[in-house]
Amino acid sequence: MKANSLLKGLVGAAFLLGAAVSAHAADTLAAVKAAGTLKVGTETAFAPFDYIDAGEHTGLNVDLFAEIGKELGVKIEWVALPWDGVFPALEAGKFDVVAGPATITKKRMERYRFTPPIAEATIAILKKAGDTTISKPEDIAGKTIGVGKATAQLDQLKEFSATLPTKVDVREYPAFTESYADLAAGRIAGVANSLPNIAFVASQRKGTFEVVLPPFGKKSYFGFIGLKDADHAPLMDAIDAAMLKIKADGRMAELQKKWFGASFDTPDAVKDPAF
Amino acid sequence: MSIKLFELLLQASIYTVTISVVSILIGFAIAIVISAMLLSRQRLFVLPAQIFISFFRGAPLLVQLLLIYNLLPVIGINVPSIVAAVVGLSLCTAAYQAENLRGGFASVPAGLVESAEMVGMTPIQIFRRIRAPIALRLTFQALVNEAILILKASSLVSVVGIVELTRMAQDLAGSTFLPLEIFASAGLIYLVINWIVALAGGLIERSLPGVPR
Repeated sequence: MKANSLLKGLVGAAFLLGAAVSAHAADTLAAVKAAGTLKVGTETAFAPFDYIDAGEHTGLNVDLFAEIGKELGVKIEWVALPWDGVFPALEAGKFDVVAGPATITKKRMERYRFTPPIAEATIAILKKAGDTTISKPEDIAGKTIGVGKATAQLDQLKEFSATLPTKVDVREYPAFTESYADLAAGRIAGVANSLPNIAFVASQRKGTFEVVLPPFGKKSYFGFIGLKDADHAPLMDAIDAAMLKIKADGRMAELQKKWFGASFDTPDAVKDPAF
Repeated sequence: MSIKLFELLLQASIYTVTISVVSILIGFAIAIVISAMLLSRQRLFVLPAQIFISFFRGAPLLVQLLLIYNLLPVIGINVPSIVAAVVGLSLCTAAYQAENLRGGFASVPAGLVESAEMVGMTPIQIFRRIRAPIALRLTFQALVNEAILILKASSLVSVVGIVELTRMAQDLAGSTFLPLEIFASAGLIYLVINWIVALAGGLIERSLPGVPR
């Protein structure tokens, strides 16, 4: 008798749990609003989007998600992971969206859903100030260039390298900050990253770093990343709507000016990325 | 390097110490159970204990942490970063500590146990007065060693989203471009923490009952 009621209780509990889990899964927007927090995954090593300034987590992402949080009426909770761990953790449901940002690419679009772009992502080279051996992108042929592991910039650099007479010696780093440190220490000749990032680094460390212009490769954009499935559609729709509102009323341009020194035009959505 | 940066490193080291200490204690509790299973001579208990040890001692801690963090949600258990970190470190250290304990109990001189039986001690008395104190005495240095190893291995938990001492040092080195000063300071903090652990271990060991010195 006792065992029987225990069994019944367990079955009931399992059923309730299952119902709770599936209710959660059905509508992530409702779950986020009910919890009052939007969990955002990021790597905190991608200035000026997301970095640690003497211990403070800061950057364009922090400001922009603060606005998104206001629009959705929720608080923002940050989860910092190494970049190559961010996508697995997104799929494991550790957070609702990835701040990154990530370059919008065809391959990533097959698996993930991107928000409206927040900046241009076209790649350029950062060199040591006063390095006369590199004056245009093609000059990196045969030199050692640092780039982030598991990034779209890595793919672009490799593609560019294949067009050069001597290949680039590509060195991959877990985070871009480490590649900048190696560049400052003279261990590598340059770092390949998206223009907004290296322009910010160069402006922060005048006399140490310089940007090699023009950018090379195909024009691309940065967006935030979420899951593509139906469960996440309401949440991603709400984030998209919030971002487009922030863009329309000029707050986005203000933040771009604050973090990049200039605002620039980005499309409302990238349907067909260049690569 | 400013005082502020050093303070940030010290704050992050609180995570390092807390996570390590909690994991060592939980790991020790699990290790007692696992080592008892190993010593039971019942296949039903020995086999699972052996599987536990060979997995958690055999796979790299980094892989275990990523599995706990990213794979458990697949079966519906979504653990927060801090839980994943503590569970990963605890299970890993439990496997090592269980082997140490097993070795300790196996090294208790059979003669001592037989003499205790001769004078009429019950098995529980023998465990409490003879076997446990001697085994603890024999394994204590290994336990201190393991605590130091876990303190250093805790630098891996940044992969599940904990900003501990090493990760904070990396972040600060990246944003300040002062890698030398910052990593030297982080190394010094680890050194001091482990020195305290070793010192405390030595003091406790001297007060332990057991084999006469």
